[in-house]
Amino acid sequence: MKKSEFHRADEKRFLDERGSSGSLAPNGLNPATIMEKAVRERIVDCYFYKEQCFGVNEADIVDRVVEHVDFIGGVYGTVQKPTPFICLAFKLLQLAPSDAILDEYLRFGGEKFKYLRVLTAFYIRLTRQDKDVYQWLEPLLEDKRKLKRKGRAGTTLTYVDVFIDDLLTKDRVCATSLWKMRKRDILEDLEMLEPRVSPLGNIEDLLEEEEDDEVKKEGGDDSDGSVRSKTPDSGLDSNHDKIDVDGMGESRSSRSRSRSRSRSRSRSP
Amino acid sequence: MSNNKGSAYGQAASDTDFRKTYDLDEYAAKAKEREAAEKEERKARWEAKMAGKKYYKPLDGSETLTTARNATQDFSRMVGTSTLVPAGAGVGKRGRGAGFYCEACDLTFKDNLQWIEHTNSMQHQRSIGQTGEVRKATAADVHARIVALWERQQEREREQVVSLKERLEVRAEEEEKEREEKRKKRKEAEERRRLEKETALKVKTEYGEDVRVEGEHDEDDMMAAMGFTGFGTTTKK
Ligand SMILES: [Zn+2]
Repeated sequence: MKKSEFHRADEKRFLDERGSSGSLAPNGLNPATIMEKAVRERIVDCYFYKEQCFGVNEADIVDRVVEHVDFIGGVYGTVQKPTPFICLAFKLLQLAPSDAILDEYLRFGGEKFKYLRVLTAFYIRLTRQDKDVYQWLEPLLEDKRKLKRKGRAGTTLTYVDVFIDDLLTKDRVCATSLWKMRKRDILEDLEMLEPRVSPLGNIEDLLEEEEDDEVKKEGGDDSDGSVRSKTPDSGLDSNHDKIDVDGMGESRSSRSRSRSRSRSRSRSP
Repeated sequence: MSNNKGSAYGQAASDTDFRKTYDLDEYAAKAKEREAAEKEERKARWEAKMAGKKYYKPLDGSETLTTARNATQDFSRMVGTSTLVPAGAGVGKRGRGAGFYCEACDLTFKDNLQWIEHTNSMQHQRSIGQTGEVRKATAADVHARIVALWERQQEREREQVVSLKERLEVRAEEEEKEREEKRKKRKEAEERRRLEKETALKVKTEYGEDVRVEGEHDEDDMMAAMGFTGFGTTTKK
């Protein structure tokens, strides 16, 4: 069957096709129901969506992101207003862009426009198979650019890599429940994924080095700085410590927990 | 079409009779066609109603694709002096009224939300001759758009730098002017003080000269010039 060359300008048919003739996302979910009903309703009722998401195609999405997205989030404020970010994510669910287009968004466009990158990463997390999610998203853990986030609690500061880590490890991000992916090591066991090679070097070596340092530290070496400087992402941690001091973003404990989780994950054979 | 039938304002030609029959035949055929179309439409309307759906006139091929809005709507342009709408004004009041007016559909809406909802409706899409369908973009289209947007952003930033530079230059100029002004004032003040001093000095000197009455000491002066001093009785004061 020849694929249509057109999109409907609005979302009515997309939502009407719920669970029927509408095509499913690569991860088997129905794109029309991936976001929760309450959020969906807020989106299609809001002015931004009606004005800026009508008649938009895959290229126009980039215009909208560049012009209107300067923070991430699901709903914000006391009235739980949907963010332009979540509205455009909903539009992506309707447009169902191809992998080739996602690649343009994520890499070529993402280098230039960080919010285009994170929006695409979010969409990929919602619609792609788990092995593909890991492969698309993990390289973005090197992106340390700052992001603004708005939620019910107000505005906070975060980073691209932290948001990507959230997408890989959390079960709820931007007012949206994330479907449960298999753990990375399971996919490695199934030979669906190659073990992750950190751009900083062999992760096993780095971990051993870190352990040695820790042993040394316990053995009386109290120069904290030298230990930290040898950890693979010490620059990162010290960077993020700053936000925590400000009381913004996620607490450090939760972040380092998820980081260590991903470490132990890649450590198992 | 008019080519086939000849110009309505053209000269009467010898084939007029033929054209008449031709036109009549065509007219009959058209009428039949129209009747059929109307019947078809009634049927479609009826079927849509039975199915609980809204009926829209079928497309005739002259429509254009729907495209995304270029930018945020500029409502200031559309709204007249009065945006006050009587309470309870219905959605999409027929005709031009106070509020947001849609020319194509001749409907007035009480606020921008209702207006934008209307412009997204199939009813409006049809009355402006659009299909309600949007052409899909390819990866190449997306790539080109990213390039264009990036260039636009760079351009904006350059402009900002330029305007910042200009602002700084203007400010530097102003500061220079201010300094110049201060220098001038200082110089003037100095000049004034100098003049005052000079005048004071001059007054003193003039006073000294005043004492020496003209002609009084001429003799002494001459004597001094000739080598005689302390000779006379007169003493210089
Ligand atoms: Zn209209």
